[in-house]
Amino acid sequence: MINFRDDVLPLKNRLYRLALRITAHTGESEDIVQETIIKAWNHRNEFETSLAVEAFCITACRNMALDCIAKKERQNIPLDNSIYDQVDNAATPFQTLSHEDRKEWVHKLFQHLPEKQRIIMQLRDIEGKPYKEIAKLLQISEEQVKVTLFRARQRIRNEFEKIDHYGL
Amino acid sequence: MDYKYIEQLLERYWECKTTPEEEKLLQDFYLQPHVPNNLEKYRCLFDYEREEKDICLDSDFDERILHEVGETIVEAKHNNLFFRLYPIYRAVAIVAIVFTLGMAAQHSFSTEKDSSETTINYASYKDTYTDPQVAYEQVASALKEVSEGLRDAGLQTEDTINIKK
Repeated sequence: MINFRDDVLPLKNRLYRLALRITAHTGESEDIVQETIIKAWNHRNEFETSLAVEAFCITACRNMALDCIAKKERQNIPLDNSIYDQVDNAATPFQTLSHEDRKEWVHKLFQHLPEKQRIIMQLRDIEGKPYKEIAKLLQISEEQVKVTLFRARQRIRNEFEKIDHYGL
Repeated sequence: MDYKYIEQLLERYWECKTTPEEEKLLQDFYLQPHVPNNLEKYRCLFDYEREEKDICLDSDFDERILHEVGETIVEAKHNNLFFRLYPIYRAVAIVAIVFTLGMAAQHSFSTEKDSSETTINYASYKDTYTDPQVAYEQVASALKEVSEGLRDAGLQTEDTINIKK
């Protein structure tokens, strides 16, 4: 039987980081997590395992976050551009950037990945989940997870290669 | 220090051939302040991945969400407990009904029996004396004997108490 404090509530921070990865907005991500948790709790009788709860929450959270950014795009409200512009405008070589600026640059790389690659990078590299679990959570094959993650990492690697060739 | 292993690990990371434990090892490797130049450029990536894990919701989130679903939880617990004990309630109710009916039946039968036993039938009594005067004297004599016996017993008790004092 699903318990709110043991099975649903501990997912809050993982869901928050996922929503934040998609929306890049703290307030909206918090609302999405709250709505996701309430929704999962209302469907509690349908779950048999805690992994089923997590899969439901990740799907609901992801869909709500995507709806949120789609709504913003329709309204022509730009996402938090300050994050992206800050490093783009830096004309200094990579080596001279501060550590914080470099992390901001990595953040930008993550955020510019296609949505599916971004979510799989989030679940694997940030949350440290095995391929099998990611496949179950996203209801795709393990092979698809590996292929998508490979593409994402290669994209990031290429950006690092550019540093060697062009300085930034 | 030989960094060959880290370089191999990095290569396997890009190829998606590392385990989550090996990826954690890479993140931990970048906790040290000085690494060779060829590895230094990836520091920001692994630092970023490690630090992103620490992003959390505000501490008051729990309070708000528990308040939101609190009533549902209480209600759910009550419902579940009620439904779980439902067969027991039924069994107890059946036993109580049978017991009450049994008690009522038993009481009604015993009342009939008692009433038949306790009713005095004066007609069935027979006198032991033929002369009423003799009977009266016998009863008076018996009562006098009883009275004297009681008085003697009372006096003896008083004497005993006085001696003890």
